[in-house]
Amino acid sequence: MFKKILFATTATPACDNAAHVAFDLAKKYQAELILLHVFGTPSRGFSTTVTDAKSGEESHVDSDYVEWVEEEMKTYYAKQLADCTTAKVETLAGVPHTEILRMARKQDVDLILMGAHSRQEEPGATRYRSIVGSTMQKVSKGARCPVLIVSRPCTTCLWYFSNIIFGTDFSKASDSAFLFAYKLCKEIGSKLYLFHALDLSSVQSGTVLEQSEVEDRIAEAKKKLEAKYISKMEDFDNYEVEVWEGIPYVEVLKYSREKNGDLIVMAHHTREVDPEKAMLGSTVEQVVLRASCPVASVNRPHKVSES
Amino acid sequence: MAQGKFCNREKVDTLEQLQALLNDKGGGQYYKEMQDLDVDTDLLWATLQKTLKEKSRIKAWLEICAHCGMCSDSCFLYLANNKDPEQVPSYKIQSTLGQLYKRKGKVDNAFMQMCMDTAWSKCTCCNRCGMYCPFGIDMGIMFSYLRGLCFQQGFVPWEMKIGSGMHRVFRAQMDVTTEDWVETCEWMAEEYEEDWPGLKIPIEKVGADIMYTVNAREPKHYPEDLAEAAILFHLAGEDWTVPEEGWEETSLAMFAGDWEACKMQVQSVYDAMERLKPKRMVVTECGHAYRATVIEGPYWCGLKTGQPPVESLHYVEWVAEVLRNGKLKIDPAKKIKEPVTLQDSCNYIRNAGLAEYTREIMSYIAEDFREMSPNKDHNFCCGGGGGFNGIGRYRKQRNAGLKVKRDQILQTGAKLVIAPCHNCWDAIRDLEEVFEVGIRWSFLKPLLVEMVEVPEHLKPQEEEV
Repeated sequence: MFKKILFATTATPACDNAAHVAFDLAKKYQAELILLHVFGTPSRGFSTTVTDAKSGEESHVDSDYVEWVEEEMKTYYAKQLADCTTAKVETLAGVPHTEILRMARKQDVDLILMGAHSRQEEPGATRYRSIVGSTMQKVSKGARCPVLIVSRPCTTCLWYFSNIIFGTDFSKASDSAFLFAYKLCKEIGSKLYLFHALDLSSVQSGTVLEQSEVEDRIAEAKKKLEAKYISKMEDFDNYEVEVWEGIPYVEVLKYSREKNGDLIVMAHHTREVDPEKAMLGSTVEQVVLRASCPVASVNRPHKVSES
Repeated sequence: MAQGKFCNREKVDTLEQLQALLNDKGGGQYYKEMQDLDVDTDLLWATLQKTLKEKSRIKAWLEICAHCGMCSDSCFLYLANNKDPEQVPSYKIQSTLGQLYKRKGKVDNAFMQMCMDTAWSKCTCCNRCGMYCPFGIDMGIMFSYLRGLCFQQGFVPWEMKIGSGMHRVFRAQMDVTTEDWVETCEWMAEEYEEDWPGLKIPIEKVGADIMYTVNAREPKHYPEDLAEAAILFHLAGEDWTVPEEGWEETSLAMFAGDWEACKMQVQSVYDAMERLKPKRMVVTECGHAYRATVIEGPYWCGLKTGQPPVESLHYVEWVAEVLRNGKLKIDPAKKIKEPVTLQDSCNYIRNAGLAEYTREIMSYIAEDFREMSPNKDHNFCCGGGGGFNGIGRYRKQRNAGLKVKRDQILQTGAKLVIAPCHNCWDAIRDLEEVFEVGIRWSFLKPLLVEMVEVPEHLKPQEEEV
């Protein structure tokens, strides 16, 4: 299922949880693992310096510096690298999301793995500030392959995932997310929870629905889940279907908690790319921020459709 | 030591040289070597004589300067540095180029270093002083010439030597190969085609209406800029293309005074024009790129018409045109409501007269447009032009110079600055970093993509929900 995995990391504690999953996954699938650290942001106008991602200071990119960053990464992941023969380390200067997406495309990777940290390096800063790293946002929007975001300790390993939650809004992008969740469940024998939340947030509807209307809509959504997904699952029967109403991200989180979900799969297809504007609006972002388990964002069919 | 390993009169023509130079962090060894660099005074004098002939304009300029000081207040660096007399443009050029000529090129290492520091840290070649001189003496032009003399002698800031080397090796200001470029175009078309059905970036199409050229920073680090350009051409229904080679318009060689590389670079663009025979060429939101390729380039390449091989437009000219003829329409509800100001890039406003095009654009997209004062042809340099932004040795001087632009912006009361030029964009970003005055800045493209009306047939197909 995963032949090539790209792990985008800053090689700091903020990415430790993600690193754990990345190496586990590479080992399990004998996958090629690329550790990529984009360490410096360049200017728009002419300059030979970049702003170092960690120190925030200006530095010159030369081969010494690149080598030094690479050494630092190898030291940081020494233990894991010794155990994983299929991993290689790449470092370069650039705008993080651009270089991650460029590398993913060039190397034709099957999965991008990253933490949900923002530029503020201290762990927890993202959750506290309620802002998902804009890199994560732009990568999940642009990537053609699934993007797995790990922001908290993942106590289980991926092949032990026993409860995978698939949250859908019935969009086209969600079809790809479904395929990914479904294939993963089949492959590792976990249970699939298909979930939809009827959006009752006032921003969305502007009106108050009668209880009977809510119930009608729930029934309708259940039918849709049946038609869109369950009918495609052939003889796979290890699943549950649920539709709740409320604010979507809250419901997804509540549902995942109730079912002991250890992976949430969703589509992240908001067209709003400005992180300042999208940060509170997107269900996926809120789920990533608050979920206790990893979240996979899948928007496109390229790496998940039947081959 | 006459010639250093890095600091010398050699040109950087190979990737190995370039890499070695880059690895000399911050030019540490380079500037050390510069202390011992000898001056080829014969070459210097021979070169001066070739240009400063009888009836040449530079010779006349140097001789007729009356030291009246009318140019003083025109220079933003003079104003930013507490009206330091040593920052008066006429003094700056007389004490450098003027002396070189008077002494018939017989100068020493210290003098050449002083010339270098003056040419790159006390002048951005914005040419504003030329507008205020009663004799029309253009010190900016002379400083560009002085830079050429300095470059020839090896007295050039480390970053500038790298920049011109990039053009020599890659025909681009950064290490972007033809393969990288084509790859990036394909990638952007792929990434954005879902949101913009039918979006394409046509490469090397012969006979298109528009050939689009860029700044290498776009494919290298900011490819979404390229995608935005493609989206706007797509929405306007333009028949356009990008060349496979000759796509880079900028010229750090011009900033560096590397005349030979200037010609090499711009020739690659003209070759693309000859090859693809487009009706017109449009260049991205970059100031010096336009000056190099459209204004100066024809002379570098010896084109008798003084014009590039095909009609060439700056991006703002194209935007004004399509907003005027309705190929692109702004959604009235999405116009910029907040106060917004505009940075006039010296290179295509003062030096090419495009001020009214940007005003026309503002009239379509902004409800509360506020002019800086002074503006248009009289606007001050952003503070980072002519390579100033990128030279580590002069960072302090650059930051000091940003004050003038900061105050101009603050006076408008606008928090948003539109800066359709890469170097202006950077300088304004940096001045926010240095002074923290709470402003935002943007190119035109991302704003336009948000504001234009998308024709029904170009919208992504509605999803079944």
